[in-house]
Amino acid sequence: MGYAIRTENLIKRYKDKTAVDGLTLSVEEGELIALLGVNGAGKTTTVKMLTCLTKPSGGKAEIMGIDISADPDGVKRLVGVSPQDTSVAENLTVKENLEFMTGIYLPADRTEAVVSRAIESFGLGEFSNKKAKLLSGGYKRKLSIAMAIIGEPKVLFLDEPTLGLDVLARRQLWREIEALKKDMTIVLTTHYMEEAQALADRIVIMNEGSVMAVGTLDELENMTGKKGLEDVFVSIAERME
Amino acid sequence: MRRTMVFAKRNLIEVFRDPLSWIFCIAFPIVMLIIMSIVNSTIPKEAGNTMFRIDNLAGGIAVFGQMFIMLFTAIAVAKDRSGAFLTRLYSSPMKSSDFVWGYILPMLLTAVIQVCISLTASVVISLISDYSLSIAGLLLTAAAVIPSALMFSAIGFLFGTFFNEKAAPGICSIIISLGSMLGGIWFDVEGVGGIMLKIGRCMPFLYATRVARSAISLDLGVKEFLIPLGVVVIAAAVLTVLASIVFKSRMHADQR
Repeated sequence: MGYAIRTENLIKRYKDKTAVDGLTLSVEEGELIALLGVNGAGKTTTVKMLTCLTKPSGGKAEIMGIDISADPDGVKRLVGVSPQDTSVAENLTVKENLEFMTGIYLPADRTEAVVSRAIESFGLGEFSNKKAKLLSGGYKRKLSIAMAIIGEPKVLFLDEPTLGLDVLARRQLWREIEALKKDMTIVLTTHYMEEAQALADRIVIMNEGSVMAVGTLDELENMTGKKGLEDVFVSIAERME
Repeated sequence: MRRTMVFAKRNLIEVFRDPLSWIFCIAFPIVMLIIMSIVNSTIPKEAGNTMFRIDNLAGGIAVFGQMFIMLFTAIAVAKDRSGAFLTRLYSSPMKSSDFVWGYILPMLLTAVIQVCISLTASVVISLISDYSLSIAGLLLTAAAVIPSALMFSAIGFLFGTFFNEKAAPGICSIIISLGSMLGGIWFDVEGVGGIMLKIGRCMPFLYATRVARSAISLDLGVKEFLIPLGVVVIAAAVLTVLASIVFKSRMHADQR
């Protein structure tokens, strides 16, 4: 199996601040990787660079073998993004939002089938004719993720997908994300330890723009001699200070 | 093209589902048409003031209504820019031209509907006030004001790209006030002359009003119709190109 994402010394600088400092990472196709870190760790900036929303200041990155700097249009056809803030068209219904996104990525004759499938798999049936602005936070997030996958991306980026959700809505969304794992490579940013632990094949611990550690939970536990991701994280963070 | 139309459809739905667009784009110009017609009926004939007579008023109101199209274009663009919705779309295969025409086309359609409604209301008022309007003139007006609709949409797009959700409506309100005064919608700028006329001639609004009024009265001379129409067409083209360039550079700036 090939690599879905490869980055080499990827850097992003904003004037005097370095948001991402030399990120080198490989993600296999079909893998779910969690970028874990506190606010300002560089998780969102990494996602922005990999989805061509912001240009790297240095280094190199490829999505499915396509260079993000050389062919951003090619990359944009392969990725789906669910941004940190819920980004739906508020006055459109759930169905209209999904039809809109389908229209951007896929031919018209596939719209009906693809939208019906997304509504069914995300359990949005009873809300399909409801305006997005009237949905609860949890269902808005579901819609946002459904909009991100409707173009059938090879790589899906979920930026803090469960931020601000209650525990039940979060668990429900985890199940939806789990179900997507078999179909695409997923990069998920989060600062919830249990989320990374529950969903990720591998975890990337970031701090101040740099990668502190990468590995499966077992590998990270062995590396630090701690049990559970929270203790692993604290151990790595303390080692840095 | 498909992406442009898909985005245009989304924006059209957003406009039609916002009650404020109905109030400001459709109801308010008609209310002004009715109020000014009542004002006209109270002006003695000896005064010789024909500014609010329905043939003059209909053209003025058609342009006045389009100024609210500018406001709604600015709000739509600024609102999308302030949220994460455009972020999602920037990461999609949409090009800057899809965004530009996706915002402008639904506003043009709204403007055409708005003009048709306000001209129909003008016909009703003309029948009540016993002043006949030429149907050919009305049809010509509906077509002749399309360039000014594009011009106002482009101005709105420009403001929505430059300013945030709070500032853009304020700037547009200033333009609506200035444009309706210097555009000669509420008083005869050419009769007033002086500095008002000089400033008015430097802006496209006066020409837009003149196109609409000349079309209604089928006064299609070079000075009365063709030159003002040419000025509006050039202004619309320049502003649309400028708006496209500014949006594209903003899009790239956001990606730095």
